[in-house]
Amino acid sequence: MLIGTAVPRPRDCTFSPGDWEILGRYWHPVLFSTDVADTPVKARLLDVDLVVYRTSKGVVAARDLCMHRGSPLSMGHLQGDEIVCAYHGWRYGLDGKVNHITNEAEFFDLDKATLRMPPVHCEVWAGFIFINLADDPVPLRSFLGDGLLAIESYPFEKMTQRYGFSTRINGNWKLAVDSVCEWYHPPYVHSRFIDPDVSKAEKMVPPVDSYHYELFRPHMLTSVPGPPPLRAREPGTAGPARQDQRWVYKLFRAGLFGPDDVPDIGLENAGADFLNRGNIASWGNDQFWLFPNISVQIWARGYYITYTYWPETVDSHIYEIDLYFVPPANAADRLAQELVVDSTIEFAMQDVNTIEATHSALKTRAQNTFHLSDQELLIRQFHTVIRDTVGACQSANSTREA
Amino acid sequence: MPLPQEFSDLEPFVVDWALPTRAQRYEARLSKPFDELVNFYDAVAPRAEEAIAYLKGLDIDDLADDATTLLHLLYSMILVSYAVNVFKQNRIPDSGAAFFEMVAEPAV
Repeated sequence: MLIGTAVPRPRDCTFSPGDWEILGRYWHPVLFSTDVADTPVKARLLDVDLVVYRTSKGVVAARDLCMHRGSPLSMGHLQGDEIVCAYHGWRYGLDGKVNHITNEAEFFDLDKATLRMPPVHCEVWAGFIFINLADDPVPLRSFLGDGLLAIESYPFEKMTQRYGFSTRINGNWKLAVDSVCEWYHPPYVHSRFIDPDVSKAEKMVPPVDSYHYELFRPHMLTSVPGPPPLRAREPGTAGPARQDQRWVYKLFRAGLFGPDDVPDIGLENAGADFLNRGNIASWGNDQFWLFPNISVQIWARGYYITYTYWPETVDSHIYEIDLYFVPPANAADRLAQELVVDSTIEFAMQDVNTIEATHSALKTRAQNTFHLSDQELLIRQFHTVIRDTVGACQSANSTREA
Repeated sequence: MPLPQEFSDLEPFVVDWALPTRAQRYEARLSKPFDELVNFYDAVAPRAEEAIAYLKGLDIDDLADDATTLLHLLYSMILVSYAVNVFKQNRIPDSGAAFFEMVAEPAV
């Protein structure tokens, strides 16, 4: 397994020891590269405060405290490649070591050579700043592997129009991951959107063999079919107003699968070779799962969504959904985005309820085995990787303790 | 907060529905009687295509206050459309206690 050594959990850490073992050893996207300009930025990962800033050598990150008396360096400023503490003016250089101590001669037996900001590993990929809290992680690119590295050429940086959502879910985070790893549930959980008559809804969803799956441990991918965009129409041809959501989709030219007027995002075509690898005829989106707790869903119609699952306790987690579009060219584009955003969240709220209800049921311990079908392939891999990871963490810990 | 002249017939809905944040709009959808959602939808929907065309002709980064008010009415129309057309009630029927806080939204 590609794992490093987890750092000790912070005092009052909200993460359970088991989740910390998994999460604390992996890479997590924490900021966008564009968030970090000429001032230090405060960030937080797994209850650990961080300072992230830009130098002539690139973006660097450290635990957010000064070696003097623990003041957060994110409150300071940059002076060339040095970060300056706002409290007493101590300065740290590119290697993280203290370069300058104000009135240094006043101190007693100070070993300046050993004073450095506690480092964390930080790498930038596809415009995302990834951070890993482990002491000795595998390099980010090795961790991502060929299955994910290819999407680096997607124009994430153009999608600056962000709609961000967050909720606390009273259920274990792994149940939430399970819930969006398969396309078996939509005719039931989302039947009101598809067709209130479930027997019709079952027939309207794509057949099980129309999806494309790839496993590149520990990560994975599903490609999903979707409807083609509506054809352009003349203004004024939406027809008389109706209490019918299909009319609303036609009016605003958008729906759950995106806007019908697809923006030019600079890809050669919607099926650039790193997307829709299974050549689905009417492709809807690619959902790339970055182990352990984030997925990046790239849609055929020129936008993407990230889903992040942050465990809090065994029984709860924070679920974040962030939708990113190119800035709208006009109000019609903006309204189409609004419709996509609202549709996504209405669906997500139904999924959330399923997770909470399932968690309550499982807590009774009346059932302890999941029965997983062929089309629940990604859940099978997720469970296997989690089990192997926990096992590897436990054996690494027992080796260290021995 | 007047509307553009052409849409002054929608003025009665401005106070309740021309709300600048999604959180305010969702709160309105949840707190008002369902009949009010339907009345609002039925009033705005027939004017919506004209309103979209009107707004599309303007610079979205430099909208006048009256145009912004109209845009907010259309955002609310989208948000109540699920309640009116899909669920026939204010809340998503299968959503339990689930609710998403919006933590980032565009200025316009």
